[in-house]
Amino acid sequence: MRNDRVEQILVEGLSFSYPGAVREALSGINLLFEQGEFCAILGRNGSGKSTIARCLNALIAPSAGSVIACGLDTRNRGDSLEIKKKIAMVFQDPDTQIVGTTVEEEVAFGPENLGLSAGVIRERVDRSLRLTGISNFAGRQPMRLSEGQKQLVAIAGALAMEPAFLVSDESTSMLDTEARQRILELFLSLKEQGVGIIHVTHFLEEATIADRVVVLDDGRVREEGVPADVLYDPEKVSDMGLDPLPVTVVAREMSSMGHPPAGPVLTVEELLSCILA
Amino acid sequence: MKSAEILCIGGANGSGKSTLAQICAGLLTPSSGSVYYLDKKVESRNNLLELRKKVGLLFQSPEDQLFADTVEKDISFGPRNRGLRGAELDARVRTAASLFDLSLEELGGRSPFTLSVGEKRRVALAGVLALEPEVLVLDEPFIGMDFDARQHMQSLLGRLRDDRGTSIVIITHELSSSWLLADRYALLAGGGVERLQSRSELVEKERDLIALGLRLPQWGVLANSLKEMGIFVEDPADPLALARAICSIREGSDGR
Repeated sequence: MRNDRVEQILVEGLSFSYPGAVREALSGINLLFEQGEFCAILGRNGSGKSTIARCLNALIAPSAGSVIACGLDTRNRGDSLEIKKKIAMVFQDPDTQIVGTTVEEEVAFGPENLGLSAGVIRERVDRSLRLTGISNFAGRQPMRLSEGQKQLVAIAGALAMEPAFLVSDESTSMLDTEARQRILELFLSLKEQGVGIIHVTHFLEEATIADRVVVLDDGRVREEGVPADVLYDPEKVSDMGLDPLPVTVVAREMSSMGHPPAGPVLTVEELLSCILA
Repeated sequence: MKSAEILCIGGANGSGKSTLAQICAGLLTPSSGSVYYLDKKVESRNNLLELRKKVGLLFQSPEDQLFADTVEKDISFGPRNRGLRGAELDARVRTAASLFDLSLEELGGRSPFTLSVGEKRRVALAGVLALEPEVLVLDEPFIGMDFDARQHMQSLLGRLRDDRGTSIVIITHELSSSWLLADRYALLAGGGVERLQSRSELVEKERDLIALGLRLPQWGVLANSLKEMGIFVEDPADPLALARAICSIREGSDGR
């Protein structure tokens, strides 16, 4: 971790309405995010997942309530740049955020705008490329890379800002399994290094590796807790507009046969370990 | 392809999925090799035009094929272009819309660009269906859709196959959304297609899938692990069979 202070994002009574919309996209959300934690945000389409992601780094300001990001109030326009330095964001489609003509230039774009010295920029770019495992194509054109590689470039660009938090708004949704796996492993290793990861996703399997899961429904927090508590009941999960994990469906059948697994299970390994137990 | 079946072709990003989809639909022509439709080689321009009439294509991004300012105009564009007018055109559009649970009274006058991802895909598909194709080729039809929208789409595609005998090709990197739906599977790798038959055969290919950058849904991973423990589950999509297999191991029986 870069310093001993654990940064936080404090969301209090957050509501948000898009101009002209009849319904609130978010209503009365209270949440706390901390550095060094991996939090997954789930919810059906239209539940407010992307809206909350955009509120966290001051892309949009609350209609009511507040978001205090690393001590800075997102309602204060003057702090907007400072907030974006601390809370980086990656989106579903990397093409929307890549501007550089080479990977290296792309990653350097953020730190250059901070007015850092050439030496510091170099260090940051090298570190970000190394962390994301893309040092070997520093000189290539981002637009000629695969979708998964482009997403890694976008994340490297975000990391070069040395943020306290990385907010991923469905950054894995267009990727194949291998690319998705790489991004998730990267998130876990960034978390170990003290970055707070907030990952918005459709995929329940991705949420099973999170420390905490928040499920939004109709602009409100419907469930919040460790993955096992929130995701083990397939009926509750489908009622929240999510795909139940197949393992939880099998576990329910086992319970109805009088052989429930010892505790909540989300993965194949967990389910099988109850056989061996 | 057989008639009235759903074939799922799995391939990683960059494996040629969209290219294959466009060749099947006659939008691209092969650099070498051929496409056959009803045992007839597609070679002349006339054949190609014929193929385009028989095969409907849904692009990965519905925005690539929606363009009219209302849903109704979008769905009617194709058949109108083929010269249909009046009651015949109207019937065609209504049938196509109803096949995808779209109410023209409710949505017909709206811009397709104001709809949700699931609705946009259904409008795009209704536009394709209004041309009454015999084969549908769908490029990543579930991407970006949530559970409810995916389930809805899955049941609509199942109905098209069962009630109308439409053949459907689903090309995807994400096998779990088609797991319960597909009758047969194939894998796309290194520019070639490996043909498999059933879910069980796909399950046996778990290692190949991983090497291709794909992954079995949890159902398949579980069935495979059980197999390694000596228990064969015939349908690796049946929760009851999988649960029974696990319970039988716990009871110490042989799982038969």
